[in-house]
Amino acid sequence: MGQYLPVFALLVLAVVFGVLSLLVSKVLAPRLPTRAKEAPYECGIIPGREPPERFPVRFYLVAMIFIVFDIEVIFFFPWAMVFERLGLFGLVAIAIFAAAVFESFVYLISNGALEWGPIKRQQRSALVSPARTAETTIRRVGLEGRPRAAEEAA
Amino acid sequence: MSPVILTGDPLLAGNVDLAVVLIVLLKVVVVFALLLVATMLMVWFERKVHGDMTNRIGPSRAGPFGILQTLADGIKLFFKEDIRPERAERTVYVLAPFLSFVPAFLLFAIVPIGGNWANGEGGKVTIFGHDTYLQLADPPIGILFALAISSIAVYGVMLAGWSSGSKYPLLGSVRASAQMVSYEAAMGLSAMAVVLVTGSLSTHDIVAYQAGEGPLGWLPNWGILLTGFVPFVIFVIAGTAELNRPPFDLVEAEQELVAGFNTEYSSIRFALFFLAEFMNVVTMSAIFVTLFLGGPAGPAPIGPAWVWSLVWFFLKVLLFLFMFVWFRGTLPRFRYDQLMNLGWKVLIPLSLGWLLLLGTVKLAIDQDWNPALVGAIAIGVFLMAAGLLRAANRTARERRQLEEVF
Repeated sequence: MGQYLPVFALLVLAVVFGVLSLLVSKVLAPRLPTRAKEAPYECGIIPGREPPERFPVRFYLVAMIFIVFDIEVIFFFPWAMVFERLGLFGLVAIAIFAAAVFESFVYLISNGALEWGPIKRQQRSALVSPARTAETTIRRVGLEGRPRAAEEAA
Repeated sequence: MSPVILTGDPLLAGNVDLAVVLIVLLKVVVVFALLLVATMLMVWFERKVHGDMTNRIGPSRAGPFGILQTLADGIKLFFKEDIRPERAERTVYVLAPFLSFVPAFLLFAIVPIGGNWANGEGGKVTIFGHDTYLQLADPPIGILFALAISSIAVYGVMLAGWSSGSKYPLLGSVRASAQMVSYEAAMGLSAMAVVLVTGSLSTHDIVAYQAGEGPLGWLPNWGILLTGFVPFVIFVIAGTAELNRPPFDLVEAEQELVAGFNTEYSSIRFALFFLAEFMNVVTMSAIFVTLFLGGPAGPAPIGPAWVWSLVWFFLKVLLFLFMFVWFRGTLPRFRYDQLMNLGWKVLIPLSLGWLLLLGTVKLAIDQDWNPALVGAIAIGVFLMAAGLLRAANRTARERRQLEEVF
């Protein structure tokens, strides 16, 4: 464990640094609290609603899928250390393991567990001429599409 | 086949007496001061270079070229009122900045910043008669340590947003944790490619391996070449996403979320978050260098080798620091679904496939397998996996289109 001694020393130093800065700030900074200052930040609007307590379930799904992959990564590390000694046997074993995880990954994707945002749909209205595209309506910065100085002079 | 050596820093291998403890403390204080100064200069560097990129002057008043601007800002923040939002969960609110910046310090402990790599010295230098490495700690599980510590930083961000009792920090922190978690697997898998090639988890041994004779005799023996470039690209992308740096800065997309998870933090508490963010940029660049660019090892034409190693290390890190600023000056921010798609559907399968390919190729060369057969099987497996992923994506899209009709 001797190798971790400097890490612990650095940990202590960092915590002391943080506590000291907080103490110094406590001494130096003014303390004039008002209602408006302590209210949750809402860009100047008086907060009317409680912050949401529920979240899209996708965030939880991401957390769960992450655990699967993190465990996979952990199991890969020992193999990466000794794969030369294990040879073909190790390679086949890790390939089977990877295939099993990959298969569940494909299942998750096909179930839409990792789909975000709206589907991209291009709707063409009859009212808008098809000739109007981003190419024709947006004026580019720079010389492209502008009369050249030489042509103007001529 | 390289034997697994678990030696670590020679300083701490033998008896740990008072002199050793004093040297350790000296190293800790030096690294601590170095990190703070480096972070300070990084903030200045970013503001100055980004200013140039956007046709501005950038900081120019405090000190020569405005180099003391960060120091001035830091001192100013000490004098600012520390506002505690009324809805905040007090204990967690106070704890969160610590969870953010303490790991930022610890992460640097495993980075080798110099050493005498010439003449088979293996990076050893002698301080006050004791052999040691120019790195704070060399635990045998260096890379795992780095991954573990960097994932603790997620807690700081998540708890800061959750405990603020406000809308924008909460949204920012939920985004941040999902994002950091999504890119962690890809990061681990691409770092593992280096472990696979060098055969060690210790950062010192990884650098020592890269200091050896390179391919073709004239190329450097760097991880970026040995692992075939792809893990490097994946690691840089995943590292940028882990740091919440542009173009992955959805966490603090100011048009949507004000300042993200630290909106309700003011005064020195905010400064601690800010410090952690930029310190992580410096440390992540140092880890890029350690894993893929040979760390501090390099030629030493004249003078002591350890001085040259510091110069090489600084130049290589500077390269990545500039890259981060360049990203910010150039790339527009990702949309959330693009971020998730890139992380999950591209980087993770690609890094996994590349790792297996790398292992297979190394084994094939070691054990003289039939190259044509191995190549055919590898291409077949890759095509099959890509086909499966495509099919899965198509199925998901079709399902959603069916759902949206109703």
